[in-house]
This record gives sequence, C-alpha cells and structure tokens, in this order.
Amino acid sequence: MLHRLESLESCNYNGMDVAVLEKQAAGLKWQQQNYVVQNSNLVDLCASSVPQFQGLFGSNLGRGQMIELKRPEVFLGSDDFQEFVNFPVAGPEFGDSEKLDLVPHEAAADYCISRTSSCQMTAHNTSVMKEEREDTILEKMESAIGSGKESFNKRKAEAVADHKSKGKRIKGEGESEVKAKCSTEISRDSSKENSKASEVQKPDYILVRAHRGQATDSHSLAERARREKISKKMKCLQDLVPGCNKITGKTGMLDEIINYVQSLQRQVEFLSMKIAALNSSVENLPMKEFPAYVANFPAAAKLPEMAGLPSYFQLNPLQKESVNCMLNESMLPPQTATEGIASASVSSSSGITQLQPFSAWNMDPQEHVWIYVRHGRYMKDEEPVQHTCT
Amino acid sequence: MDLQNLNPSSLKSRFTARFLRALTEINAPKTISSSSPREIFQRYRRIKVAADKSMAYSVRSRRIWSRATLWRLRTRSRSRRLVSFGRRASVKTRTTASHGKENKEHHGAVLGVQAEELRELVPGGEAMDLCNLLDETAHYIKCLTTQVQVMRTIANLYSIE
Repeated sequence: MLHRLESLESCNYNGMDVAVLEKQAAGLKWQQQNYVVQNSNLVDLCASSVPQFQGLFGSNLGRGQMIELKRPEVFLGSDDFQEFVNFPVAGPEFGDSEKLDLVPHEAAADYCISRTSSCQMTAHNTSVMKEEREDTILEKMESAIGSGKESFNKRKAEAVADHKSKGKRIKGEGESEVKAKCSTEISRDSSKENSKASEVQKPDYILVRAHRGQATDSHSLAERARREKISKKMKCLQDLVPGCNKITGKTGMLDEIINYVQSLQRQVEFLSMKIAALNSSVENLPMKEFPAYVANFPAAAKLPEMAGLPSYFQLNPLQKESVNCMLNESMLPPQTATEGIASASVSSSSGITQLQPFSAWNMDPQEHVWIYVRHGRYMKDEEPVQHTCT
Repeated sequence: MDLQNLNPSSLKSRFTARFLRALTEINAPKTISSSSPREIFQRYRRIKVAADKSMAYSVRSRRIWSRATLWRLRTRSRSRRLVSFGRRASVKTRTTASHGKENKEHHGAVLGVQAEELRELVPGGEAMDLCNLLDETAHYIKCLTTQVQVMRTIANLYSIE
C-alpha cells in the first residue's frame, strides 16, 4: 500500500481542479458498487458541501492547471474501497491530507490524483468525506438541486456520453457513467490544456487562451491580452454613453464617445452661461440648504412645468441675447464670443425680432433637453435659434 | 425620486458644495452692475472655470484628467496675468486645434485618429495610451454628467426664484 501512497504523492499537481474532484468521485463510485456506502449522513454532506463545492468550482475554474488523469475504469473490480480518497475542500488544504490508509487498487497507481489521496471513509468524519461524496453530490445536485454550475452539468453530460462510447460495463445508475465521462473529459481537457497557452496568475488577470491555430508566443499573447482589456473597457463605455447598444465596432463606438463628450462639454458651457445670465437678475439665494437640495434633485430634473413656465420667461432681452450668442458660439467655434455679443447688441435694436427665437426657446420648459441625434450632435433643437440670430 | 440625503461624501455632493460656494463668491461683488452682455460674458467665464475647478477638486487629483485640469487652470491663471489678451489667445488656440484635427484624418489609422480626438477632448489625455485613455474617458464622462445635472438643477432653481 505504500507504493500507492508514493505513486499518488509523486503527482506534481499543484492545484485542485473540479476535474480532480470528479475523477476522484468517479473512482469512489466505482468502488461503491461492491460496497455498501453509508448513506445516513449523505444528505447532510450534500447540503453542507454543496456551497463548498460551488466555492471550489469558483476557485478552480480560474485555473488552467495541467493534470494528468487516468480513467477511473481502472477502478473496476477493486475490492476494498471502503476507504477511499479523501480530499479537503479548499485548495490550500491539499497538501495536508496525505493519509492513505488503503489504496484501492493496483490500477490506482496510474491514477494520478493530487496530493490529496488519503482514503478514509468514516461515517462520522463529515469534513473528510465531503469530497468523497462528490459523486453522490453530483447526483443530488443533478436531480434535486439542479447543479448551479453549467460547466458541471456539461462535464457530467460529456462524461456520460464518453463512457457510453467506451462500452464499459457499468453497474448501477448513471452516476457511474457520469464519473467516467467526467474522467475522460478531464483527461481530454488536460491534454487540451497542455497544448493551450493560458495566462493565469491571479483572479483579476484577464484570462487569455490561445485557441487552436493561434500563435502562443509571449508577444502575441500580450497583444491579445491588451486587446481584450481594451474591448472590455469599450463595453463599459458603451454602458455610459446612451444609445450605443446597437453600435458594434471600435470606430463607431469611439465616434459616439467623442460626440458625447463634446456635447457634455458644450452643455456645461451653456449651463454656466445660463447661470451667469440668470444670476444677474436674481439675488443670492440662501446657500445653506442648497447643497443638499441640489444634490438630491432628481437626476432628470423635470421641473413641474406649471411652476417653471411663468417665471422662466422673465429673462430680459439682453440676457436672452447673451444666452443665444453663447449658443451660437458653441455652434460655430470660429466665431468668438465677443463678436457674437457685439452682433447681438447690434441687432438688439429691433427687440421684436428677438422674440421669435425666444418662443422656440421657451417652448421647452425643461429647456435643455439635449436630443441625441444619431450621426449628429447631442443638441437641442437649434434650427430656429440659429436662423433668427445673426 | 426621494429627497433623502444622499451620501454626503459622494462626488455629486462634493461638487455641489464647492460649486455653490464659488458661485456665491462670483455673485457677491457684482450684484449692482450686471446687465451688460460683457459683464454677463465675464461672469460666464468665471462660472465655467469655477465649475471645472470644482469638479477637479472634488475628484482630488485621483485621476489624470483632474490633475491635468487643475494644472491647466493654474498655469492659465498665471499666464493670463502676464498676457493682456489672454482670452483671445485661448480662443485662437481653440480654432487652430479644430483645423488641425481635420488634417490628421488624412493619414494614419482611423483608430489612431479617433484616439487623437479623444485625447484632445479629455484633459491630460495627450500622454496616455489607449487603455488608460479609455479609463479616464469613462470617469470623465461620469463626472461630466454629474456636473451637467447639478448645473442644470441650479439654473432651474435660479430661474424659478
């Protein structure tokens, strides 16, 4: 039995993978065919270990370690499998559980599991048996809980299919097939991982996998990682900029972003102009309660139209001119603001002509609803204003 | 929308407080003569600067763009005292920049051109690679929207009173 221990220990497997769990569970399951498994605490184990199991999933899915696994079919016919592989829940604990009281079978020698290879199956040792029950957990999850992890289901399904193709003699229910499937799939995965290049260091790194046919040298990997970072950021920007859901492609998105930033900057200028114009006619408001009130103001800032309209039209003509000229200035960059104001003052002699733009102006009580025009700017309806103002 | 107090240390609250404080400073001395367009225009500039400065201070130079904005404001205020027609100079630089933009489109990758445009828009964007530029743009957009919201609210409140 010692040689079992040595063989198992010789596996230089650094981390825990779901596959390992499944494999071990598969191996366990094979043995269970010949032995009565104490299912008294099964339900408890399932309930208690499912979250851990899922946690294990989460921690392990990010790792693309290479594992050398063999089929659990070798376990067929193993006699004494009362105590089988015991592996702890989380990764760091793996190095500890090296107790191997009973190695199931000669074939287990090929079965390179991680260092967790102690076989001890005692009914009361719940913490120990958590992973041993993986197979049963799998069944439970599949049947009752409906396992939360898609990959898990996928592996099970693939494991089932694979095992069927092997044509091995299966005793018991489908979970044994499932285990076999898992194992075969895991071996496939491991071989795939051998050929793939994966950068996995920390959870917050971007996992880059080189697919079949792609270069795997460090430069292209770095390039690919950089490109994925950029595309991820573009997606975040897509959420920020309104109306970008339909646009795909970097150039279109960048155009939208540029337009949006420009419009926001113009809005700030415009609003500051408006505040300047309004301030001249109003006295200082009490500033104590303002900050909280202003900050709590609804984001849409939809003022009640009834209250806003009457006083809103009180802008005197000069202020309106300056506001309009400010608007013109933002529309036509080459025109300097001073020139705009000069022209406004010239035209202010005919006060009546100024009223027309103001009516269009005042029609929108919310006043600066910047309508986003695709392929254009985020601008309010500026046509009437521009036509009437010089 | 509820009127309960939002997080007092959020970006919005910080910006609002600073901006209102600046507004009171701007309005205080000019309560008497303030109807001429020139006055209004001057006040507009001051308010705009105050808005940008308030936003940059609220971000507390955690971001490249806020640091660049503050630096730009400080150097501009310094240079304005030296140069007599500082306002015209800044306007002229704006026009030349817009012309230069069109020339750039003729050569180079399209992505590079747009990245250049974005760099011009976002303060401090000239020395950033695309990755950081996108990050800064996202944060800048968020702050700009906050700024616009608050200023719109203030303008509406002013117009009501």
